[in-house]
Amino acid sequence: MKEEMLKGLEKINQLSLTQEERRIVLDFFAFLAGEEEALESCNTDNVERMVHLIPLKNVLREDVSLKTFSQDSLLAGAPKHTDGYWQVPRVVD
Amino acid sequence: MKLYITENTKRNDKTVAVDDTILVEGMPSTAGSKMLGEFKPLFDAEVISRLYNTGFSITGKSNVGEFGLDLLGETSNYGVCLNADGTLAGAAAAIVANGDAEYALSVDLNGTPRRAATLQNVCFIKPTYGTVSRHGVIPCACSAEQIGVMAKTSVKAAELLSIIAGHDKKDGTSLPQMKYDYTAADNATGIRIGIPTEYIEKAEQTVSEKVYRFADVMKADGATVEEFSLSELSFVQAAWQILLCAETCNNLSRYDGVKFGYRGNNSKDIGELYTSSRTEAFGLNAKFAILYGSYVLSKGHYESCYDKALRIRRVLRNKLDGIFSQFDLIIAPACSKLAYSPSDVVNSLEACYNESYFTALSNISGIPIVVCGGVQLMGDSFSENKLLTAATVYERTEVGK
Repeated sequence: MKEEMLKGLEKINQLSLTQEERRIVLDFFAFLAGEEEALESCNTDNVERMVHLIPLKNVLREDVSLKTFSQDSLLAGAPKHTDGYWQVPRVVD
Repeated sequence: MKLYITENTKRNDKTVAVDDTILVEGMPSTAGSKMLGEFKPLFDAEVISRLYNTGFSITGKSNVGEFGLDLLGETSNYGVCLNADGTLAGAAAAIVANGDAEYALSVDLNGTPRRAATLQNVCFIKPTYGTVSRHGVIPCACSAEQIGVMAKTSVKAAELLSIIAGHDKKDGTSLPQMKYDYTAADNATGIRIGIPTEYIEKAEQTVSEKVYRFADVMKADGATVEEFSLSELSFVQAAWQILLCAETCNNLSRYDGVKFGYRGNNSKDIGELYTSSRTEAFGLNAKFAILYGSYVLSKGHYESCYDKALRIRRVLRNKLDGIFSQFDLIIAPACSKLAYSPSDVVNSLEACYNESYFTALSNISGIPIVVCGGVQLMGDSFSENKLLTAATVYERTEVGK
């Protein structure tokens, strides 16, 4: 992992590390790169991925409305809101 | 020492402390993060509803490491909890150990409650994945995290687990069985126990002595004990780190400073608001998980990292099927040593990763764990009763509980 690549990851994840944080993260990326090599010792040819631990598929519920929250209660947790909307800085110029 | 992030003064005689990663309506729920410092949930987690329905009261929200990405709470925005001797405590386990609450609910994401229970010498049960509803848990790695129960004895922990376990239609990963019966047998006769040698080699002697002491008690009660090699441990933690971070990266993407949670100051536009909110509010472990998670999910590394880790998960599950046809349970250390000082977590990223050697197998495979007597007992899915039998025998023999 190069610093420039890390900066790219920061950008797409909406983060901005300090130089000290960047140093620590780069060191740990380098450490984990060595650990990732250990994965190669495990033969996974013809092994299916295991995304879920339990054999549940297409868990659906009845199409009926359940308890909902009021607009006021949802907005109460927002950092800023106005006139019933979440308030943010300018989105387009 | 801040054991509680929020403490409740209204209590009855049936008390439970609840990790701050579990939602309780009307109480701030922060997951130990500045990001959720002002967050108050609008509903109770399913486990909380079940506790209230059976007459329990909540003593408060126990201090946790940020989103569960910690060794022993050191990444909490509210400071670390220390024992009187200056070692790291683990808040929920300390609360149970000092008797302030009879039980605690803790989320096992990366082994933190198991380490804490070991160090505080209390019991912790992490049940089979899917048996306890995760509805109302602040999510990080959904395919693995599981609510467990701490108590001073395994019998008491099992009592509370019986109340909170069972199908919940609000959780898409909740298994269909409505109730579970967690009872221990009278003795360990016939129980086949395995001890993976690799775990013993990685732990300090004081820890391995506890494993062998536990094994001796089991043998004296009629169990058989055999050491065996589990060479797959050489890559379990790397595979788990990949899955943990990939899922954390996705789950933490919801925090943007708009609808709830922390908002950065003086942002000129929406992009700056997102970046300042996340940068100012997340700690380093959370930031790293996001960055590494997006790395292993990126086009150039998806197959060699994320896809590979998912296939390894199946290899491990198949391996465990074989192991548990030979043994009823495994005894292993839950951590490398019996006390951690703040200097051990100066580099928390490295410390968490190194200690996940002992805990990752259960997280990646969803198998149940009982921590008792300073060791962890692992069993096949739905084998909690065998684990509880071993724990009960040990407690009866060693401490007369």
